[in-house]
Amino acid sequence: MLFTRGLSRISRTGYNRRQWAFSSLRNNEQQLIQHYNHSLPPLHSSEEVWGFRVIHSLVSSALSGVGQQVHDQSSSVIEERLDPFSLVADELSILANNLRSMVVAKVPKLATAAEYFFKMGVEGKRFRPAVLLLMATALDVPMSIHPPDATVDTLPTELRSRQQCMAEITEMIHVASLCHDDVLDDADTRRGIGSLNFVMGNKIAVLAGDFLLSRACLALASLKNTEVVTLMATALKHLVNGETMQMTTATDQRYSMEYYMQKTYYKTASLISNSCKAIAILAGQTAEVSNSAYEYGKNLGLAYQLIDDVLDFTGTSTLLGKGSLSDIHHGIITAPILFAMEEFPELRAVLDRGFDNPANVDIALEYLGMSRGIQKTRELATKHANLASAAIYSLPKNDDNDVQESRRALVELTQRVITRTK
Amino acid sequence: MLFARGLTRIARSGYSRSRWILCYNEHQLLHNTNHFPAPIQSSGKVLGCRVIYSWVSSALSGVGQQAHHQRNSIDEEQLDPFSLVADELSILANRLRSMVVAEVPKLASAAEYFFKMGVEGKRFRPTVLLLMATALNLPTSRLPPDATVCTLSVELRTRQQCVAEITEMIHVASLLHDDVLDDADTRRGIGSLNFMMGNKLAVLAGDFLLSRACVALASLKNTEVVSLLATVVEHLVTGETMQMTTTSEQRCSMEYYMQKTYYKTASLISNSCKAIALLAGQTAEVSMMAFEYGKNLGLAYQLIDDVLDFTGTSTSLGKGSLSDIHHGIITAPILYAMEEFPELRVVVDQGFDNPANVNLALEYLGKSHGIQRTRDLARKHANLASAAIDSLPQNDDQDVQRSRRALVELTQRVITRTK
Repeated sequence: MLFTRGLSRISRTGYNRRQWAFSSLRNNEQQLIQHYNHSLPPLHSSEEVWGFRVIHSLVSSALSGVGQQVHDQSSSVIEERLDPFSLVADELSILANNLRSMVVAKVPKLATAAEYFFKMGVEGKRFRPAVLLLMATALDVPMSIHPPDATVDTLPTELRSRQQCMAEITEMIHVASLCHDDVLDDADTRRGIGSLNFVMGNKIAVLAGDFLLSRACLALASLKNTEVVTLMATALKHLVNGETMQMTTATDQRYSMEYYMQKTYYKTASLISNSCKAIAILAGQTAEVSNSAYEYGKNLGLAYQLIDDVLDFTGTSTLLGKGSLSDIHHGIITAPILFAMEEFPELRAVLDRGFDNPANVDIALEYLGMSRGIQKTRELATKHANLASAAIYSLPKNDDNDVQESRRALVELTQRVITRTK
Repeated sequence: MLFARGLTRIARSGYSRSRWILCYNEHQLLHNTNHFPAPIQSSGKVLGCRVIYSWVSSALSGVGQQAHHQRNSIDEEQLDPFSLVADELSILANRLRSMVVAEVPKLASAAEYFFKMGVEGKRFRPTVLLLMATALNLPTSRLPPDATVCTLSVELRTRQQCVAEITEMIHVASLLHDDVLDDADTRRGIGSLNFMMGNKLAVLAGDFLLSRACVALASLKNTEVVSLLATVVEHLVTGETMQMTTTSEQRCSMEYYMQKTYYKTASLISNSCKAIALLAGQTAEVSMMAFEYGKNLGLAYQLIDDVLDFTGTSTSLGKGSLSDIHHGIITAPILYAMEEFPELRVVVDQGFDNPANVNLALEYLGKSHGIQRTRDLARKHANLASAAIDSLPQNDDQDVQRSRRALVELTQRVITRTK
């Protein structure tokens, strides 16, 4: 609870780092802090990231612009906030670099195009890789059950590399789909700067997307795990399905909540749920645990998208109409409107007329304001966020500090996803 | 030799079917082939490997349903590669159609667009792959004694057919995306998909096929095969980009051109041939032979394609469609001509928006040995492809031998075709 309230305060104050007075902590959280408050010896031998330095920072931007700001070590007892991104910041840097070198092609122009999306500043939140890396830690097989003759040092390292590779693959698939989506949408900007197709033309954007996809497939094959290949192939198929559903909906389908949730699963949640599951499978976890990982990813993704829909209307304020309203202007009917239609069937006639006429947009917003559409969407998002948390809690007990910390971070993320304001 | 000459005659006579009087030395060949082997595999009629000889005389185009012809007359001497696998190809085409039926009908019709009769093209690649699959069959005696020969063979064949399907999906996906790139109005003689349905749907349809190909690839549960075909996609993209973004220096380089040609045309077929071999459990050496066949066949095919773009159905210049040169794509004949006439380079650098430049280039080409040297290079690659087949491990099985002959036949057809 405190976490959530604290986070709301943090996000409202923007990018500042704050140190919170220790005295405000309740007893039970003091114990939590004490756990954090020592440097763990490196569990694994190679590379500094394996040292698993405990990094706590008070970066207050909820999910955006984390980037390099997160790179801050502090072991002061005052720190209480668990920033999921800082836990994996080092690994994320390495991942970003790997991605860049992985896409270097023999044809420079294509490399430039592909790299476009991996440059600092357009990197986005690296949300998916962060989730996957945290999940990887959260699922670590406890040391005690390693077979006695196993080379304890090398096994985890190789496993971790494979899981990092998994995170890279997911990001490549994601970026490839963005390249193509922007072509499909004639988008001018993406992540705040000129979209690839706008800057370099549709042709290169299509090719760059294909290129990234092939690289992802190659990396997938290198993992030599056919179940994982299947999962990611399915995720890819779902991405295409989702985009197609969005492009080609019949009128009835546009107004169906069920259709909308299915499309949302395909477009947003499938990639992250299947890659979470892949992480579990690579870790040699049971089917049950793998499904928990899947459920976490799925519900996190759904919650994320539902709040995304809300923010498109509300923007940084809780009032309607301050958001970018890009969905409605593109004729995309999202959850808030769908809920509003349940309360006000006459809204449907407005929607049928389309939104080229700005007056229609205003009418729709009016109905939305009168309805509980926004609220019900938030509630649905919270429900999914809670399901995601529950999935983490249902993971097999594990006393390892890093494991527990990562699990807390994953739960933290479910909260951030629904409380963010941008 | 006889085959080649026979084929040229066949090709020149167009689409008619004719019977050829047996020549003495081909009698022997026919004796061996003139029986129906008992089906080795139980399921699927195509696996019975019926001996199908037909008199379809169209060299490589419009084979389609015409090939669906069974004959066991002793008169038959010509080996038509396409008819050997015609039944399987039908099944493959049908499977492809049902495989692309998506939950979203609009996209299914977009993807099916390319699998409809009439635009199916020659099904060249799947034919090669199915023939290669048979050609690489391990001798039955080498199978473990307790193996259920029937099931194993059926399953293997199904997997190899799957590779053929995947290959075709990747190929069509690349065509769809290429058409977006090139603003092409027609493809295979009818309105291209992007022209009719918009670039967006073409991009999406291409992605759709690629994603289905990935799913099918995953189902094979063989990561080496996944790697091979993922490499293919990368090569296709690289090849297309090479074509789009050449510097003046690169455009005039034979080496660059051959590399691009490998990426754009030969990589798909070479790597899928190799995949077929891997699935069959062949050694690395044999897999390389399969790769070499595919690679050289693909290169030979493209080189003749380049020639035909200039010569069309006549041996003289300028009767072809000349689409390459009008798109500013410099192919082998021109590159060779530039070696003989360096001044041609100036013309090339000026570009071909001006038709006068096109005529000038054709003049130079006519004076040079460009066409002939390209044909020579194509022949060289065709021979390399044949050699690869000849170097496969000995196998006395009739079907295996026949398929290998068919593969060799294809290398000849590829270089003697006139369209």
